[in-house]
Amino acid sequence: MTDLPPGDVTMTSPSLADPQHDASRLALQHADFVDQRATLMIDAQQIEKRFGTHTVLRDVSMGVSKGEVVALIGASGSGKSTLLRCLNLLEVPDAGSLRVGEHRFDFRPTVGKAGPKVAARPAAMLRRDIGMVFQHFNLYPHMSVLGNIIEGPIRVRGMAKQDARVLGEALLEKVGLADKRDQYPARLSGGQRQRVAIARALAMEPKAMLFDEATSALDPELVGEVLQVMRDLASDGMTMILVTHEMAFAREIADRICFMDAGTIAMSGSPAEMFQADRNTRLGAFLERFHQR
Amino acid sequence: MHYTWDFGALSMYRVLFVRGLETTLLYTVGTVLAGLVIGLAAGCARTFGNRFVSTPFRCYVEVFRCTPLLVQLIWMYYALPVLIGASMSPGMASFLTLSLYGGAFYAELFRGGIAAVDKGQWEAGRATGMMPLMVFQRIILPQAVRIMIPSFINQTVMQLKNTSLVSTIAVADLVYQGSVITAATYRPLEVYTAVAVLYFIVLFPITAFAEHVEKRLGVHKS
Repeated sequence: MTDLPPGDVTMTSPSLADPQHDASRLALQHADFVDQRATLMIDAQQIEKRFGTHTVLRDVSMGVSKGEVVALIGASGSGKSTLLRCLNLLEVPDAGSLRVGEHRFDFRPTVGKAGPKVAARPAAMLRRDIGMVFQHFNLYPHMSVLGNIIEGPIRVRGMAKQDARVLGEALLEKVGLADKRDQYPARLSGGQRQRVAIARALAMEPKAMLFDEATSALDPELVGEVLQVMRDLASDGMTMILVTHEMAFAREIADRICFMDAGTIAMSGSPAEMFQADRNTRLGAFLERFHQR
Repeated sequence: MHYTWDFGALSMYRVLFVRGLETTLLYTVGTVLAGLVIGLAAGCARTFGNRFVSTPFRCYVEVFRCTPLLVQLIWMYYALPVLIGASMSPGMASFLTLSLYGGAFYAELFRGGIAAVDKGQWEAGRATGMMPLMVFQRIILPQAVRIMIPSFINQTVMQLKNTSLVSTIAVADLVYQGSVITAATYRPLEVYTAVAVLYFIVLFPITAFAEHVEKRLGVHKS
């Protein structure tokens, strides 16, 4: 396992983390490069993101195939949340390109203080296909649980109210909260709120789901119920990208783990590969620190 | 000091009190509604507009917040017609001034309410593929209005009392009718006591309702 130099990270290969196979895999990757990228569900290339003078992401590329579960790990400030938020354009990159399904964006550096922008409509179209779950749930406090879930289907997808209710109730069943249908979010526990938030995102019937530290704001005893819902989703074949500090969980459900460090994907590979990291590498040191906590 | 109170003398002027109260309520409702429209527009312009949009609205808000309503009223009635070369009825001048005055205060309430809604609410709406205007209408504004309600009612109570100033340019509101009745009866103490009681009877239920609403909304806060 090797640390990759920053700025030279291509996540589109199946694995760059195993030196014994790198040569043959790289050759194969070149031949199939175009085809391989075309089959990706999410293809981010050379993403750069700056906040003011601070560069948060430098030349990050990552591809995610349909049905794949990718975990982004790394110290706080390493850029993992920013990368995740770039994938649904809640943050607009300063440079690079992004394709999600058939939605395609190229980002150009902007001059002046106002950061980079994308047109509202194409961005909204992209977001319809990617669900997002936030650390602080962000449920709509003025709507009931069911109201939270059916808002998107009715307003955005133009679904009939009756159909949306049926869908909403099925999703509540799925996350184990059918009896909370008419409650307001303020009456729910953190774990219940997050499960509603997951149901709300699923109601858009997205092609992929982003989880931004979905369990970080929860009391320890409530983490399990949310992880269980995520586990079920993964086994249903949902494409998922998660930023997480739950290492055991990442190891369990991720097909691939990306370790971010100083705005780059410093290393990536299967959980088995990643968790054997030498403690002299940055990843090894990170995991070591993690276990000591 | 001895004074014999005689409220009976006012009874024959009941109709004038009622008419005055009607005018007061009419101006209040009309200027509150107009003020809310102006306030929402100005509040949004100040919140979402770039410098070139927000600066003019800031000027409007500050001019009306930082000058006395009485001066605005007199200026609108006497000075503005000279500037634009067209006369204005007392009713028109009153309606315009009160609406703009109320609008300036409502604008700040809207601006504060919108800013007080958690940023995550915008992100949640956008993340489900809503366009910004829809996020504003469906997610942000309903929450902003809930936050605003106590100060909105406070401002509206003041707006009703402020309509009393229109009597200075001969709009026949409750205070104006009071002065008419005083002139006829020479009983200012009784007349203005009655006027005060009428204002109180209208406003007290509103403030009591405000308190009730405030308590009920607190339950749903997350």
